[in-house]
Amino acid sequence: MAFDWEDPRPIPKMEVDHQKCTVPLTCKKCLELCPQAVFALNTIKYVKYVENDINEPGAYKVTPRHRDKCTGCMECVKACPNDAITVQFEEGVAK
Amino acid sequence: MCQYCMTHGYGKTWYKNAMNYARQMYKLKKGKSSKDLGRDPEGAAALIIAEAVEARGLKPEEFPRLRHMANKVAQEMVVGQVVTLEDAMTMVELASPIALMGCICRKITRGRLEDNEDSYTCMGLGIGMFKWDRWPERYKGGVHFVTVEEAKQWLTKWHKKGMVASLMTHGTPYIGGLCMCDYPDCLAIRYRLDYGINQLIKGEFVAIVDYDKCTGCGTCVERCQFGAIKFEVTIEKTNIDQFRCFGCGVCQTTCPADAITMVDRKTLPGLKEVW
Repeated sequence: MAFDWEDPRPIPKMEVDHQKCTVPLTCKKCLELCPQAVFALNTIKYVKYVENDINEPGAYKVTPRHRDKCTGCMECVKACPNDAITVQFEEGVAK
Repeated sequence: MCQYCMTHGYGKTWYKNAMNYARQMYKLKKGKSSKDLGRDPEGAAALIIAEAVEARGLKPEEFPRLRHMANKVAQEMVVGQVVTLEDAMTMVELASPIALMGCICRKITRGRLEDNEDSYTCMGLGIGMFKWDRWPERYKGGVHFVTVEEAKQWLTKWHKKGMVASLMTHGTPYIGGLCMCDYPDCLAIRYRLDYGINQLIKGEFVAIVDYDKCTGCGTCVERCQFGAIKFEVTIEKTNIDQFRCFGCGVCQTTCPADAITMVDRKTLPGLKEVW
């Protein structure tokens, strides 16, 4: 299981629509459910180095940081209450 | 011998050198932060590492270069090392004050907010903790100070549940944290295993199975966070790949037959340079 960065796995195009997903830390369904832990939570809004209220829209953003680990199980797409996540492999396996 | 024991431990285990917990080291950090890292060097280091990881999926051709950079920054600013439970106990005796806090990795990967004493899985060591206590709104909800005895109980509690103890530096060699980690929640373990970024180096020990004592019950197999333990079906015994073993000792604690021993990495010629 040596680490191999030339591993030619197909890497999906993953997008999280931040217009639709506004309060990820309150919902956090995709974060908790992904078997490969693909998603990462980024803190966007700091006021004087202080993190904001977790319910404020736009203060946090979920990004598919480890998207190369995605298997395409589509659990996150099914679970997202706002339909904000799209996963697309090259073969055209769209949402 | 690991590079940190050479440079910061006078040839002995570096995290047992009390100097690396000293207040002066915490101050030194500011001078070390070079112009490009700005006023929050650890935060900047984390961003550089995250950028490299994201590049693995977004622009793979850039990844080798970014990974090299991330490796360098990680070693300088936020390196971790796996420690056994006994060594972790020694560490809490050396450092003061000791405080429990919520894990930052688990907030990032799983959105888990640890905000009470039972759920805290991270431990901060040293003088910086006063700052976290003073401005809780700035430092992720503040901290909970504990005595050495309470800290040992806390370490034992999470160790029994199967978490790996690993130290964290905040500007190497200042040791400022002791985390309880598992895969894939812990970013350091994840980056090391999945992306080859050496933010976490292996511990001073490796686990060895005594085949005469091993009953093949398989209790240890499920506890390994590094995928080093396999159940060897034909001989009905546990097999530990010592090249994958990080030396956390989680398997040793759970073995009912007492068949696993932790051996000093330096005594094995093939492993003494594998970190």
